[in-house]
Amino acid sequence: MAISPDSSVPADEGASAATADSDAAAERDATAESDAGGPLGTVRSIVADHVVHIAVIVLFAIYPLAYTQMVALPVIGEELALLIPRTRTMVAVLYFGLFAMSFDFISGYTGYLSFGHSMFYGIGGYLVVLSMNGKVPFLGGIDSLLVLVLVGGSLAIVAALIVGAVSFRLSGVYFAMVTLGFAEVAHVFIRNWDYVSSNPRDGASLGNNPVSVGIPGWGPLPEWNVDIGRIIGSEFPNFLGTGFDLSTSDVSFYAVGVVVLVSYFAMQRIIHSPYGKVMIAIRENEERARAVGYNTFYYKMGAFAMSAFFAAVAGGLLAGFNRSVAPENTFDLFVTADALLAAIIGGFGTLAGALFGVLFQNTLEEFLSTEDGLAQYLRETLSESTLDTFVGDGIDLLLNGRAGLYVGIVFILFVLYVPEGILGTLRSRLGGKVARKLPERIQRYRSGGGGGGS
Amino acid sequence: MTLLRTRGLTKRFGGLTAVDSVDFGLGAGECVSLIGPNGAGKTTFFNLLTGTLVPSGGTVEYRSGGSRAAADGGARNTTAQRADGEAMPDGGAVAEGGSGGRPGSGAAADDWQDITDASPDETARLGIHRSYQITNIFPASTVLENVRIAAQAHGTDSWRLWRNAGAFGEYEAEAWQILERVGLDDKADLVADTLSHGQKRHLEVAIALAGDPDVLLMDEPTAGVSRDGVDRIVSLIDDVAADHAILIVEHNMDVVMDVSDRIAVLHQGSLIADDEPEAVRADPAVQRAYLGGYGDEEDESGGGTGGADDRSETADDGVDTA
Repeated sequence: MAISPDSSVPADEGASAATADSDAAAERDATAESDAGGPLGTVRSIVADHVVHIAVIVLFAIYPLAYTQMVALPVIGEELALLIPRTRTMVAVLYFGLFAMSFDFISGYTGYLSFGHSMFYGIGGYLVVLSMNGKVPFLGGIDSLLVLVLVGGSLAIVAALIVGAVSFRLSGVYFAMVTLGFAEVAHVFIRNWDYVSSNPRDGASLGNNPVSVGIPGWGPLPEWNVDIGRIIGSEFPNFLGTGFDLSTSDVSFYAVGVVVLVSYFAMQRIIHSPYGKVMIAIRENEERARAVGYNTFYYKMGAFAMSAFFAAVAGGLLAGFNRSVAPENTFDLFVTADALLAAIIGGFGTLAGALFGVLFQNTLEEFLSTEDGLAQYLRETLSESTLDTFVGDGIDLLLNGRAGLYVGIVFILFVLYVPEGILGTLRSRLGGKVARKLPERIQRYRSGGGGGGS
Repeated sequence: MTLLRTRGLTKRFGGLTAVDSVDFGLGAGECVSLIGPNGAGKTTFFNLLTGTLVPSGGTVEYRSGGSRAAADGGARNTTAQRADGEAMPDGGAVAEGGSGGRPGSGAAADDWQDITDASPDETARLGIHRSYQITNIFPASTVLENVRIAAQAHGTDSWRLWRNAGAFGEYEAEAWQILERVGLDDKADLVADTLSHGQKRHLEVAIALAGDPDVLLMDEPTAGVSRDGVDRIVSLIDDVAADHAILIVEHNMDVVMDVSDRIAVLHQGSLIADDEPEAVRADPAVQRAYLGGYGDEEDESGGGTGGADDRSETADDGVDTA
């Protein structure tokens, strides 16, 4: 970061002014120092800047192993299994989280609610399934998920440019309505297109051919190219002799996780680029953005296309993991609504927040699910005589498969009391980006002063 | 040398003529005030110049030059620049004009460019920037980012997707320079929305300046500002006028008399006077239409607003928000 000599003047003055100023000045000084530190200093400053990012990635990375260990614990294992999501759920958190982030990328950063976003998700998903079933011309021989995901993404870009050319002439609710209109047309079409499968209303599924993630024929180990999927997929008992068993879900979790991580960093990168700053300016005040010289139409189209690309990547991962796609889990309006919910719960316009929103939502849903959620746990734990009373009926009425109800209530509570969402609220509490401010806070507490909370 | 001119510029909203065949020119280094009662068409005239509205008739033409060269250099030597602008013979060849690599600025200085149908972002990239009557900033961004994003607009880096915006230090440096100029450098890290009204008016001007304008259109810079705040804004205008051609809409006649080289008076869409301040003040038609006895002992009708003017104001608003 190059700073003109002039800028040091306000920085020095800022020290006596508001804390925000002195923080910023300190930050600038810190950057200047680390710049001087050579390559090692650069690495160190990158690590220092991204402590929280690294911590989150590490937590995700050890999750499948930690889950296996935790649920095997003697006394509390069963209860933990109830509370924390299974690895299989976490895979869904990852790919749907990516979709929610792509939704946040356009809606949270440019302020245009893309209510038809599920269309791009569906395009990615259907392209993978159809081409693996040999139904897409020219793509018959490709069985690498990564390649198909890229093709699906490109297709979504084309679709986004068409939709955007029409809908970006409008703003606000009209934009949302036009995108929704396009998605509904696509939804109805895919439900009735019998080329997809014999029963298009139920979608299409893959046969027995494996879905592999990875670059075919590349890498030091054959394991670099793994098959994902719930049931049919690679598994590695005693992985590389470490004693850990990686189940199909675990393998899928890592394979999907890598794609999601790369996509997240790409979007994060774009948002912090000059282009991303223009996107934010459009959200803040599009009229002024135009008046200072930005042709906002093209910037919006670009952002929409990129967002559609990542949505389609997410859809491809969904198809790869589930080995099937259906209209109601891809093109449906409710899929967009789920992403919107997740983005708002996690923090609109925070990117990563959308993934945490999905994590929150899916954890709650699994906790209240019919098969092995809270209701089942209570039924197994409580005595027969208790269950014969009203308690048993109450469990059925209030808990059994009622996840949607509680997610709805939580959503309302969030909008009312935590309008900035999980990550947004954390940011305003800490007075800046979590990744930047949290380490500062911890540092301050550790150095004894305790610091004055702001 | 004239930078911006209109010929027969007309804007009709349905049956109402908000701007009625206006012939107007703004020269390099000039500071011209545009006055007139509410609803006279001043803001509509601005919107026509910047391309926010499409005229019903007439043309807007523009040529960059004069202050262009120095402005592109980044460093603004204010006093020298003004002398430069005034010394330029009318229509003379300006070799350094248009050296900025900006779209459309490559033409020779006496080549008029028709910008009648240009969009607001095109006029902005050509060098015509405006500030707004109602504060129009990026509210949730920091003060610095408000100005930085405007500075970034006249560069070529806005389509860069991959490098951190912080790596483009020249825009940030430019933003700091402008913040110092308008006296907001100590507020740089605050969220713009937390500024006081007076500070927001300064930021409004800072954003317009960051676009590196040749022509600066200021729509009531002192709107809603306290008395001593007005003094600060007047000195800011004086400072900015040194190296920009300025067209300013203003109701405060003290400010108008203070800063203007020329005053243009709009009344019911027509330009009824365009002359030096003293001549305009003495003009009986202007007295009747607007001034209402400013400078005289006798106070006539205050604002001098007619029913027709009120209607045109509403029409204005209707179109702006549509």
